[in-house]
Amino acid sequence: MKQLISGNEAIFKGAIRAGASYFAGYPISPTSEILQQAALYAEENPEFRFLQAEDEIAAAIATVSASLAGAKAFVATSGPGFTLMQEALGWGHVVEAPCVFVNSMRVGPSTGMPTQPAQSDLLQIKGGSAGDYYPIAFYPNSAEECFRLTVTAFNAAEESFSPVILLSDAFLSHLYEMVDLESIEMEALTRTKKPLGTGQRLFTGTAHDKIGNVKTSDPGIYREWLGELKERHLRVAEKYPLFEYVPHEKAETLLIAFGITSRIISPLKENFSLFRPIRIYPILERELKEVTQPYPHVIVIEGSDGQYASSVEWAIGRKVERVPCLGGGFKLQWIQHQIEEQLKRRKT
Amino acid sequence: MRRFPHTWCPGCGIGSVLKNVAMVLRELGWNYQNTVAVSGIGCSGRMSGYMNLDALHTPHGRALIAAETIKTVRPDLNVIALSGDGDLASIGGNHLLHTSRRNPNIAVFCNDNEIYGLTGGQAGPTTPKGTKTLTSPGGEPYLPLRIGRILTQQAPYFYARTTVYHLNHFKDCIREALLWKGFSFVDIISDCIELNGRRLGFKTAHQMFKWFDERFHIVEGVRDHLEEDELGIAKAEGEELPKPKEEVEVKAEVPTEALRPFSLEELKNFDGTEGRPIYIAYKGKVYDLSTSPLYQGEKRMRCHIAGKDLTKDIEIAPHGEDLVFKFPVVGRLV
Repeated sequence: MKQLISGNEAIFKGAIRAGASYFAGYPISPTSEILQQAALYAEENPEFRFLQAEDEIAAAIATVSASLAGAKAFVATSGPGFTLMQEALGWGHVVEAPCVFVNSMRVGPSTGMPTQPAQSDLLQIKGGSAGDYYPIAFYPNSAEECFRLTVTAFNAAEESFSPVILLSDAFLSHLYEMVDLESIEMEALTRTKKPLGTGQRLFTGTAHDKIGNVKTSDPGIYREWLGELKERHLRVAEKYPLFEYVPHEKAETLLIAFGITSRIISPLKENFSLFRPIRIYPILERELKEVTQPYPHVIVIEGSDGQYASSVEWAIGRKVERVPCLGGGFKLQWIQHQIEEQLKRRKT
Repeated sequence: MRRFPHTWCPGCGIGSVLKNVAMVLRELGWNYQNTVAVSGIGCSGRMSGYMNLDALHTPHGRALIAAETIKTVRPDLNVIALSGDGDLASIGGNHLLHTSRRNPNIAVFCNDNEIYGLTGGQAGPTTPKGTKTLTSPGGEPYLPLRIGRILTQQAPYFYARTTVYHLNHFKDCIREALLWKGFSFVDIISDCIELNGRRLGFKTAHQMFKWFDERFHIVEGVRDHLEEDELGIAKAEGEELPKPKEEVEVKAEVPTEALRPFSLEELKNFDGTEGRPIYIAYKGKVYDLSTSPLYQGEKRMRCHIAGKDLTKDIEIAPHGEDLVFKFPVVGRLV
């Protein structure tokens, strides 16, 4: 049966489908609806635990801890909250806690423009915490995909033993669409690691060897550990090479857009080829190389000042044009005008 | 245990905290199948890792929220938190307030050595005023945080203060805290001889222990709070504070006929200018609004003009008529 649900609702329902039993959060637009839904759901289902924490730091730490205690856990926030969650994100990678961080992006920095949509937290989710780590991040563009990718994110978390990031934006979170959730078949992976209270293990954010001895001055052990982490993340990411490619026979220009921007520019498929990465990180290096190869012009349209575009340039080894939709302005006509300007400049 | 030898300096109080907590855990039959230890960062944050339990070593300051969450997800497990005063009361201060408010059934053991030891001896939240440290070379300028006073303000609570020197008392506090149903906090006055004690003029850890003996004395029985020089247990079961009753003042109604009559023309004079009072009319009565905090300069009550009949204005205003009824009636409109 089809029902009208928002992106936020779809994310919450996807988490339940994936088997989530813990949610911690702190009110913030535009993900407060997920917090409210979790509170309501916990009321009716006592086995689902819910915490409205004192701040985002606590919410994120609680999520990682709940995961280690055996629950499938998730947390939802927006850019400023995610900034506070960086600590737990890094910690979650080191203590190997599978969980999902939802970040519905709005215009920043700081409080920014509540609540105008943006896509400017990409660098923050990739490297905002201290040290090297390799987060996996997905970014849907419809209510149905919010549901599907939430389940995927939980599965990728279970496989990579790490927090996985699900991106959204203020627009998508509040986008209502007709979705038939019951007809969607998705399998949820089960936990393979033993929960707390079953051994004498030490889960520490400090560098450690395989049996949990803290090792803070041995580069060899650290390199081995980080190498394993990287290998595991890239291997899991490889299982989800998610993207959407709409080629146009005569087009010389490829437009790259993701999330809500890809929905807004979809009418441009009449004149251009379109590429939409769904797995944002680790970046779709091979796929981007293959897809962009025949096109003399590649334009990245995104809600930030070139955060994804710079990653694309790194991946394909050449310059791309950029159309930054800043301050929450995602008008199709404006984007079209910018593209034309870019192409004119290129030709002269 | 394969992780030993531990990292602490000779003479440090943390070893004593670890050993005594572990001994009481064993007496109570708490082991790796039913107990989880959580700690934060710092010298004392290393405690959980030396326990024969599944242990969680959290980022700095986050031990309490992690411990609470584990208890939430797995109510069948016993959860203890072992950390220091800097971790629990400074960087984790917000979590201390809110975790104690939510009152999960966890026991917290705070190695309170009044210094940041691991980083070399900087002033901490509990460092007494006037103490010279690396970051307070002229003497700590501020009063210390009295954790006990904060935690014993809102029932239910369990707050115990003890020292690593008063061993029997120390073990009793640990046992009571572990058996307390709810959030229990044991403030263990401990020594950091290497990075605090020597600067204070102590030559050995033993001298610091004798100093604890001079500073503190044990008080028996159940208390509801502890003085700063007392060692003991302050606890209170959950009790809701009685709700303050709203006192409704009943004013005697003055018959309308007895009121001073005002015409609209007369009313216009009372608009607050030249020191005159502010009168307005509402449903036939004249009210004196001179004392209203909303009076913003001459003639104006935020959205309403003084000296007029405001019956219609107030009917469409977002607030109710009760705002007007607060003020004294001075007459009637004719």
